[in-house]
Amino acid sequence: MGTYILKRIMAIIPIFLLATLLTFGMIHLSPVDPAEAYLSAAHIQSTDEILAQKRHEFGLDQPLHVQYVNSIIKICQFDFGISYLSNKPVWEEVTYRMPATIQLALGSIILAILVSVPLGFLAGIKKNSVIDHFSRLLSFFGASIPSFWLGYLLIFFFSVKLDLFPVEGIGTWQHLVLPSVTLALPLIALYTRLLRASVLENLQEPYVLFARTRGIHEKVIMGKHVLRIAISPMITGLGMNLGKLLTGTIIVEAVFSWPGFGRYFIEAIFNRDVPVIQCYVLLAAGLFIFSNLIVDLIQMCIDPRISRKGGQRQ
Amino acid sequence: MVMSKRRNSKKVLFISAIVLILSTLLLGCTNESKENSTSNKDNKDMLTLAWPRDIGEMNPHVYNPSQLFATSMIYEPLVSYQDGGKLKPHLAESWEISKDGKEYTFNLRQDVKFSDGTSFNAEIVKKNFDTILKNVDLHSWLGFITKVDQTEVIDQNTFKLTLKEPYYPTIQELAVVRPVRFLGDAGFPKDGDTSKGVTKPVGTGPWILEEYKADEYAIFKRNENYWGELPKVKKIKVKVIPDAETRVLAFEKGDLDLIYGEGAISLDAFKQLETTGNYETSISDPVATRQLVMNTKKEQLSDLRVRQALQYGFNKKAMVDGVTSGLEEKADFILPTNFPYTSDIDVTAIDYNVEKAKALLDEAGWKLPKGKNVREKDGKPLEIELMYDSAESIQKAMAETLQSEWAALGVKLNIVGVELTVQIERFKANDFELNFFSNYGAPYDPHTFVNVVGSEGFGFNEAISSYPNRDELLKQIADVPGTTDEKERQELYSTILESLQDQGAIVPISYIKKIAVYQKDVSDFTFPANRDEHPFTGISIEK
Repeated sequence: MGTYILKRIMAIIPIFLLATLLTFGMIHLSPVDPAEAYLSAAHIQSTDEILAQKRHEFGLDQPLHVQYVNSIIKICQFDFGISYLSNKPVWEEVTYRMPATIQLALGSIILAILVSVPLGFLAGIKKNSVIDHFSRLLSFFGASIPSFWLGYLLIFFFSVKLDLFPVEGIGTWQHLVLPSVTLALPLIALYTRLLRASVLENLQEPYVLFARTRGIHEKVIMGKHVLRIAISPMITGLGMNLGKLLTGTIIVEAVFSWPGFGRYFIEAIFNRDVPVIQCYVLLAAGLFIFSNLIVDLIQMCIDPRISRKGGQRQ
Repeated sequence: MVMSKRRNSKKVLFISAIVLILSTLLLGCTNESKENSTSNKDNKDMLTLAWPRDIGEMNPHVYNPSQLFATSMIYEPLVSYQDGGKLKPHLAESWEISKDGKEYTFNLRQDVKFSDGTSFNAEIVKKNFDTILKNVDLHSWLGFITKVDQTEVIDQNTFKLTLKEPYYPTIQELAVVRPVRFLGDAGFPKDGDTSKGVTKPVGTGPWILEEYKADEYAIFKRNENYWGELPKVKKIKVKVIPDAETRVLAFEKGDLDLIYGEGAISLDAFKQLETTGNYETSISDPVATRQLVMNTKKEQLSDLRVRQALQYGFNKKAMVDGVTSGLEEKADFILPTNFPYTSDIDVTAIDYNVEKAKALLDEAGWKLPKGKNVREKDGKPLEIELMYDSAESIQKAMAETLQSEWAALGVKLNIVGVELTVQIERFKANDFELNFFSNYGAPYDPHTFVNVVGSEGFGFNEAISSYPNRDELLKQIADVPGTTDEKERQELYSTILESLQDQGAIVPISYIKKIAVYQKDVSDFTFPANRDEHPFTGISIEK
């Protein structure tokens, strides 16, 4: 187990290098000059002198490979550089905005679990019931509606018309409701279907039949055995989506004026704020790797069969 | 089987019924309209407005990410730019310009205090100028900065600026929002270099930054010791709402008192809010001209007749009214006529006339071959590319209109959407045929626009290279800033602007305007003449 974790952590290094190389390459493939983007954001005319000065300040006048190596060395020391736009350390800007994004991501993931586990489970054990139909409807709806549109609809009905929640901003728990729902709905759609399918599959397994013949109470079979095994694909899905969730907040943050990291990133893209973009990509890559690792560990705890090779204890 | 099918269909019916009931409930809500639009209730005497971006660091001497309007609430200029391009005394009570146009002596107002109580005087003016001049390159876009020879304190209330050569726009450029506005002594960092940041936003303006949360909001409170007209509202809250539709929703709910700016909300949303009759709306005077630039260096556009034909060949008024829903106005001049030296320009009017356009193209040798719909000359089709900013829906819609209008003339227009920065870069590199452009607006024009046309490397200089009078024009442009005689200057501007327009490479399309929507209890909202500033002094709310 220990070597397994160590191996997984070691795998991060090449992935990080690849991620930085890719972002670096893509930024430089874009025809937009960050110095020009800076000046256009500042609403000033770009004379050659200012452009040259800005390029020098950003280090863009150095050869590409030198720029890349320099940025890697700095990143290894946890120095993500200075934001072109705000002239402040990127790490400071990011950590300032991170808590809001985490709050939103956690809120929606909790909501997604709270709704999809009971819904998917009930839909599975009561196939073709009202609940099953409802879950199907919700899933179609959740999977097909674009999140910005859903966001506007929620604001329009629940905030402007019914005055139940604030339109935008952050602060109280009420502020969290609409953005969380917007972010959670596609997840609910996905997990409900995953869990339902998995429950249905497990109901066909011999162990359910054996348990029933042993006279074990139906509730115990379902709750203790079927759910426990059936939930495994959903947890994998959750892990895969944790990274996606954090990046998925970008649109929701813009719609609900949520002062998080995603919004900051979008602005950085428009302004070609290279250090910020790099930091974001690295964090996202790191998050994907770690969330997958954590999910694997959780899986091991829930279903001990995974940590055994060929059914034998290691 | 039959039983379960019947049961299923019953359930489907049941679910559909529930969905129907729920949706009618929701629809029912939409019909409920508010009797009166009300402003946000949380604070009396506080005006709440939305802005798409965080206001940024309130440093008057740098550019990003601070927002111009917010900077203008705290910091003030020596000279203020007013309606019709009039330059009025502000922190300077009066000024004298020496005969040779090199020495500017400013008599400063004596009753001005910074928001921390320290007094505004020639010393602090010099200190601000000197820190700005430490970064000449950064500020070199502002013409007079590169020409400053020295700054002097004559006495407590007299400040003298000496230039290396005469440069008439100096007074006008002193009205810009940055970098020539004044920070109090307490705001300077230890090493005195404000380009790295200020310690405290201390200004002389009508507002003081009271509370600030990055990416969320900023609250400005009224400067009770303000020397000028005291603002009527006590506080202004600027909420950061990046999304235009969310701004509209927040406004409809009553969370916001005011939304204003250029393109602050979509044209559709503006029209929709206007038609409800529950809100007040207003549109400013022209702040800039949307122009179409033709690159005369390209073969097909080097002929004046082709350029004129293209102008005769589209219905400008219909296009502007249609695309902007009347929020912009058809432009007849390449600079709005409410700017200095631009009110008396005599150009040949070009009205929509398809027949004339066709005749001009025939005359220029571009004939329509039988059975084809694109004109040709020496076997080459008349094909032109128009570049537009893909993020700007107005440019896109106008490009599409031109495409269809010119197709009727036998001109094939290819339209290409690019990112704004790419548009700027390609324009500067002379890598375009047709492009949209707009001038800088008050208080930068007309001299900045004319200077850009005259200087190499901005796009215009190369674009007008087929003008027969190009050299003469460039000389006139170079002469304007150094003029000391008002009459001579006006004549030069008239000649330059008339010639630029008559030669047809710069086509005025529409006058860009700012929009505002506000709740009914907000009164006396006005648009300042300076495009970048908004000191919010007159505005009031009745609660």
